[in-house]
Amino acid sequence: MEIERPDGRSPNQLRPLACSRSVLHRAHGSATWAQGDTKVVAAIYGPKSGTRKNENPEKASIEVVWKPKIGQIGKAEREYEMILKRTLESICIRSIYPNTTTSVIVQVIHDDGALLPCAINAACAAFVDAGIPLRHLAVAICCSVADDGYIFLDPNKQEEEKMKAFSYLVFPNLNVSVLPERSSQEGGEPTAHGIITSVTHGAMSVDDYLHCLERGRAVSARLSEFLRKNLEPKSSSESSRAG
Amino acid sequence: MEQRLANSWRQTVNEKNFIVNALLSELRVDGRRPFDYRKLTIKFGKDDGSSEVQLGHTHVMAIVSGQLLQPYKERPNEGTLAVFTEFSPMADPSFEPGRPTESAVELGRVVDRGLRESRAVDTESLCVLSGKLVWAIRIDIHILDNGGNLVDAANIAALAALLTFRRPECSLGGEDGQQVVVHPPEMRDPIPLIIHHLPIAVTFGFFSNENIMVIDPTHHEEAVMTGRMTATVNANGDVCSIHKPGGEGVNHRVLMHCLKLAHVKAGDITAKIKDAVEIYNTQRALRKIKRHSSSVALDVGGTPAKSGEKQNQVDGSQLPQSKFKDEASSMECDATSSGQEQNNKRDGVSQKFIGGPSSWDPYSECVNPDLLKASLASHGPATQRTQKGSRSETKAEEPPQEMKIDSSPTDAGLAAAQNNEGKTLKDAVKPKNKRKKKKVSSNSGN
Repeated sequence: MEIERPDGRSPNQLRPLACSRSVLHRAHGSATWAQGDTKVVAAIYGPKSGTRKNENPEKASIEVVWKPKIGQIGKAEREYEMILKRTLESICIRSIYPNTTTSVIVQVIHDDGALLPCAINAACAAFVDAGIPLRHLAVAICCSVADDGYIFLDPNKQEEEKMKAFSYLVFPNLNVSVLPERSSQEGGEPTAHGIITSVTHGAMSVDDYLHCLERGRAVSARLSEFLRKNLEPKSSSESSRAG
Repeated sequence: MEQRLANSWRQTVNEKNFIVNALLSELRVDGRRPFDYRKLTIKFGKDDGSSEVQLGHTHVMAIVSGQLLQPYKERPNEGTLAVFTEFSPMADPSFEPGRPTESAVELGRVVDRGLRESRAVDTESLCVLSGKLVWAIRIDIHILDNGGNLVDAANIAALAALLTFRRPECSLGGEDGQQVVVHPPEMRDPIPLIIHHLPIAVTFGFFSNENIMVIDPTHHEEAVMTGRMTATVNANGDVCSIHKPGGEGVNHRVLMHCLKLAHVKAGDITAKIKDAVEIYNTQRALRKIKRHSSSVALDVGGTPAKSGEKQNQVDGSQLPQSKFKDEASSMECDATSSGQEQNNKRDGVSQKFIGGPSSWDPYSECVNPDLLKASLASHGPATQRTQKGSRSETKAEEPPQEMKIDSSPTDAGLAAAQNNEGKTLKDAVKPKNKRKKKKVSSNSGN
């Protein structure tokens, strides 16, 4: 059965990915991430002293500012900030810099569907650019479920609106693809097959959700490879830019 | 709050002295002469009315949007223009989210004054129903990177965005002619704003020594200078606004000199903006033509294409074949296995569009999606689509082929087919592609 998407992709095909690092000069780390037409810029200002009142001073805390393209900051932006914060907190090694705050600023340049996954990927790349130690990288993907139960990956804005439900999934980035020698020795990290974040919109059946997870996990391997390939070459010419 | 203060950048006395001493010999820290501008790049986004400007290290984004609203009481026949400035915390560690600081407000006001008072944007043409509905144009300026001289960069970004903005066409309807119908962009082309002239802001920095004056200060120089002036001038030599908020007192002869300099610079910058907008407009027109030509290709594509498909599969690069995937279930990578179905599927799907993202190569560095799309679109839709979401059966098969791409990115071999797909696939799919390419090229003059 042929399922046709408006831009001619197949259900498991992602849009063209583009990632560039060190795009800004004042920020300690910055990256842009584009999936098709959706483009997001993330900037990191490295650990600053002090934490906010409600935060645990024994751990590093992360502060996220989400800037929409037009308009005021509303509830949706606050929700994105919260999700991004929790996701990034789980990939950072928080015990290294206690009582510090790392600021992550996300600016939406264009929104054409799958905005939150794009932002998570951009923030992850920006963390690497800033040189902040992470437990592992994270890749995010959006899976949408159509009315007939068919699953489409990486929908654009039109598709998102038509779908019955969609979910944003964040998986840890496996390092087995880059270090083939090691993979035979270790059994892989215990969290290597976990799901870091899952946000769903709309109603879908449990089976649909489990299918989404399967597809998402399969694609995350591809995304991980792309991310790692992209992050590698520049690391030799990196220079510290803090301050 | 202490933690904020600890993070803002403080200039050292050595830096300050170095900058001032260098200026005494007419040298600036980045190698410019005192009256040189930094490198200016103007880029546009996907939508109409969004621009990104880079002036040296300063990076600014402007987005123009329009809404139908009620006009002001005193001016029932005119549209409105509003400028909103966002000093994003990503631009500078000292910028904080929340209420705009006074420098953000000041920047917004300078840009606004240049546009509004000088009547650069024609507001009377924005009136739809006198007294009831007019177009309210809103300019959002986002400062992404503070490398100094935000006013000039923001002004250029706002002008570039205004020049490329298109508002939907609307007409009056209904029995009494009072109902406004807004036509969506698919039905009727949106129309550009009427801009009479381009007011360019030129910022000068003054230092404690009267003889020293610079144009386009960097943020290091801004921390040293004792006075500033922004002159908004257009290419005709009209002074739209002069903004000198306090600071060092300056001799009037120096000010006149500044205005003359500003006039010269305004001419340069106006030319650059117009060139960039020209390029954008031609690209936009090409995109529109391609969209129309895709509907024509649908009828023509039909049967002759199928004969070309077989050829494509057999002698074309094996790589794309192996990556090509059936959405049903198993990923059989043989060219022959799902032969006919793949033929039909690729056919049907590919005819539906030209110029969309049809493939991508994850292994090239920093692929610019615009360039990628533009280059691929011109080679027709039959270029391969790299499939994502591999199934477990083929995972083993895929990595070795991908390693090939990695190791020889510039090889003229099979592995490079991915990158140079235009050349190799073109040969392989000549019979099929020629038809579509001819259509596309004849329309767009590629």
